[in-house]
Amino acid sequence: MNLTVNGVEHSVGSPALTPLLAVLREELGVLGCKAGCWQGGCGACTVLVGGQPRRSCLVPVGALDGAEITTVEGLGTPERLAPVQAAFHQNYASQCGYCTPGMLIAAHAYLEGGGTDDRAAIQEALAGHICRCTGYVKILEAVGTAARGDAAELERNLEVGEEPPVEIKGSPA
Amino acid sequence: MKAVGARIPRYDGVAHVTGRTVYVDDVRIPNTLWAKALRSPHHHAGIVRVDTAKAEAMRGVRAVVTHTDVPKNVYGHLEALGIPADEPLLAEDQVRYKGQPVAVVAAEDEATAQAAVDAIEVEWEERPTLLDIRKAFDPDAPQIHHWGNWYPHFEGEMDRRQIRRGDIDRAFEQADTIVQGVYRPAAIEHVPLETQVCQVVPEASGRLTIYTCTQALYFSMGVVATHLQVPLNRLKLVGGTVGGGFGGKVDTATETMTSLLALKAGRPVKWRWTREEEFLCSSTRAPWHMEIADAVSTDGWILGRKMLTLHDSGAYARFSPYGLTKHSFHHSGAYTIPNVHFDGYVVFTNRVPTTAMRGFGVTSVSFAVETHMSRIANLLGLDPFELRLKNANRIGDTTPNGVVLTDPSTVPTIQAIADAIGHELKAEYRTMTPDPRAGDLLPEHLVAQVGDPK
Amino acid sequence: MTAAAPEVLLPTSLQEAVQAFGDGAGVTVVAGGTILLPALTYGRLKPGRALMLSKSGLDTITRENGMIRLGAMLPVAALADGPEPLASAARNVADIEIRAQGTVGGNLCAPPGVSAPRGDLQGPLLALGAHVRSAGPGGERTEPVESFLADHQSRLALEISFEEPSASGYARVDRPHAHTYTTLAVSVARAADGTVRIAATGAGPRGVRLPSAEAQAGDPEAAGRAALADVTLQDDALASAWYRERTLPVLVRRALTQLVENTG
Repeated sequence: MNLTVNGVEHSVGSPALTPLLAVLREELGVLGCKAGCWQGGCGACTVLVGGQPRRSCLVPVGALDGAEITTVEGLGTPERLAPVQAAFHQNYASQCGYCTPGMLIAAHAYLEGGGTDDRAAIQEALAGHICRCTGYVKILEAVGTAARGDAAELERNLEVGEEPPVEIKGSPA
Repeated sequence: MKAVGARIPRYDGVAHVTGRTVYVDDVRIPNTLWAKALRSPHHHAGIVRVDTAKAEAMRGVRAVVTHTDVPKNVYGHLEALGIPADEPLLAEDQVRYKGQPVAVVAAEDEATAQAAVDAIEVEWEERPTLLDIRKAFDPDAPQIHHWGNWYPHFEGEMDRRQIRRGDIDRAFEQADTIVQGVYRPAAIEHVPLETQVCQVVPEASGRLTIYTCTQALYFSMGVVATHLQVPLNRLKLVGGTVGGGFGGKVDTATETMTSLLALKAGRPVKWRWTREEEFLCSSTRAPWHMEIADAVSTDGWILGRKMLTLHDSGAYARFSPYGLTKHSFHHSGAYTIPNVHFDGYVVFTNRVPTTAMRGFGVTSVSFAVETHMSRIANLLGLDPFELRLKNANRIGDTTPNGVVLTDPSTVPTIQAIADAIGHELKAEYRTMTPDPRAGDLLPEHLVAQVGDPK
Repeated sequence: MTAAAPEVLLPTSLQEAVQAFGDGAGVTVVAGGTILLPALTYGRLKPGRALMLSKSGLDTITRENGMIRLGAMLPVAALADGPEPLASAARNVADIEIRAQGTVGGNLCAPPGVSAPRGDLQGPLLALGAHVRSAGPGGERTEPVESFLADHQSRLALEISFEEPSASGYARVDRPHAHTYTTLAVSVARAADGTVRIAATGAGPRGVRLPSAEAQAGDPEAAGRAALADVTLQDDALASAWYRERTLPVLVRRALTQLVENTG
């Protein structure tokens, strides 16, 4: 069977009941989507199937002949980040980074579907995704930033020393 | 100090958001074998017989490792801190917790490795279990550790962390009331999104390259080197981004066993735990049992504190004596209590050995002490902020473990909290400072004791 | 993790699916996959023959003369703004990704959960007096959802149908987050002919009618107390039987109160 992943067509040899996550990581070497539980419980494995976010650990590849799969690598590159990727980076929405690919896919789908910066709606869209590091606030803020499409926010320069540092009493100048 | 206060991009931020960050399972080495473990299904059992013949003969299996393959099977990870060794890498003649590894297998794929594990024959002899730390001290409790049911090797072969100061009996006599509380935080799983994983590559030079998710590269390197009885320069540990650790990835849980498999098979081996293994077999933050009895006056002086702590170490000591030691320093909290009587025990149970987790040893006692302060305030009808300010550490106070305080922050911190939430304090508390107590702020019978380092 | 490689059948029509299922012997049905795939991955299930329904055309929903027909492969998400009490139950299944993949048929046929109740839609379908059309030994048949739930091991669910209720109610123990299964929920519906049906999810291994509560449907308080006679409550990872015993009467009362409020 055939699968198009991030625009590249592949011939897949894995048996039909193989989870898409295993096909992506083990057969095709597409490593951006992560395995957190293999039970659909954490969201680290979420990819787009035909533009829709799905837990790739739960989808049998045999149901996907001819499907278009998008992983986090397909959203953007270091040279050209998608707005949602830039928003996550600018807002420190990622610490260990393990949940980030899944979060980005879910956020991307939400935004592509017309999602706004309404906090409750963002939370609903990302409800299946667990993060153990950040406490979620910055992730929700990042999606809101991307929803607003605020170019100024997204292009904010993060160079060292650009903003005046806070004054620390007693520190050497 | 130009960097402090500036917004600095995470150096790994772009990699995280583009899926380029490499975690151990993203390290792909050709010719890699896959590992699985045979784990005890019993909380406590003797091992009568282990037969790995069927597993070793299975097609696709390249190595089976048991304790007989380990050059130094029993090694205490904190021997350098004086905690003697009690835990085997792979079980020898008994198991003391459900999930304890007995053997590991490396095979061409994970399904084969699991089938081989299932084909290992073990004859068990179930033994009585101890799962409640409170029962460990009963005369008829089953003995589940060769040292006895609680750790006996603190300095001077003490069986507890003991802190004594002042005259607790006199404090209890002088008290207007005794306020008691029992605090029992449960075990907490770390649940990192990335489970335990490592990849070992045997190099032609005889060195092992170990890609590991450990939070402590040099520490794990020492552990592996000691179990394998090799010099450190035979190991190259490669860390990188850990997919969440929170203290749960300091146990060196996979590296040594995977290395043994790699050495025996002569091929790279990867071992990645399932989420179920992570929940059932990985170490947790310890459960605690803390009892506090404070001798207090009706106007809110804490004259004395009696405290008992039981720390559930699980089946082996691991880092628990260290955790309990840290815990012990904080039993008076941010407050000066002139008479204290603290006993803390590291207690063994037939549970997965417990380990560090953010604030190792201290979150438990902070929770208990602060809850207890609020309980006192509640029972005496006092303002909880003012109770804390009254008993707060002052400059020059000596803590029960002998530290003379030079800049305690209790007073300004509590005042800042009150201010932040709009809680009105009486004038004397609003203007309080951490300066040494003036005589009229302290009952006469306490004056001589506060500041006494004995 | 490599999955077992059984024979996989991928029919492209309902007739082909029925034929491929045969008498169901040795056949593992693959609907959405949300329950099945973890069982495969963790080696708890090793199917000999797998029947994948993704191309069988069973994912339709039709409404005609007040009769609603749900294809067994309809995603749970498709019910989110449909008739109550099905919609409320559907909205509380996991999160949007799981709901988009899990199916009505898969949820209906979910094996009892070990540590938490499964099959959120069973309760509402019981309350709606739904019927299940299935294939299997003896051919196709249509039966009330109660009898289907009692014995469906050798049946392939094809379609679930019910008449739109005239009023409904739904009350549940709150779900703290998307990953929690339903601890306990009560569904109530009044059919066009006035019959009131009450059913519970999470009180036992599968959805269950509460006939003792139905007999007192006019008095929500009494119905709540009566409901306990119809259930054998369990301890599980989510809640104790003790907790469910105290909560079930409250949920019955609330659902019945909603029914009255929703009545035109």
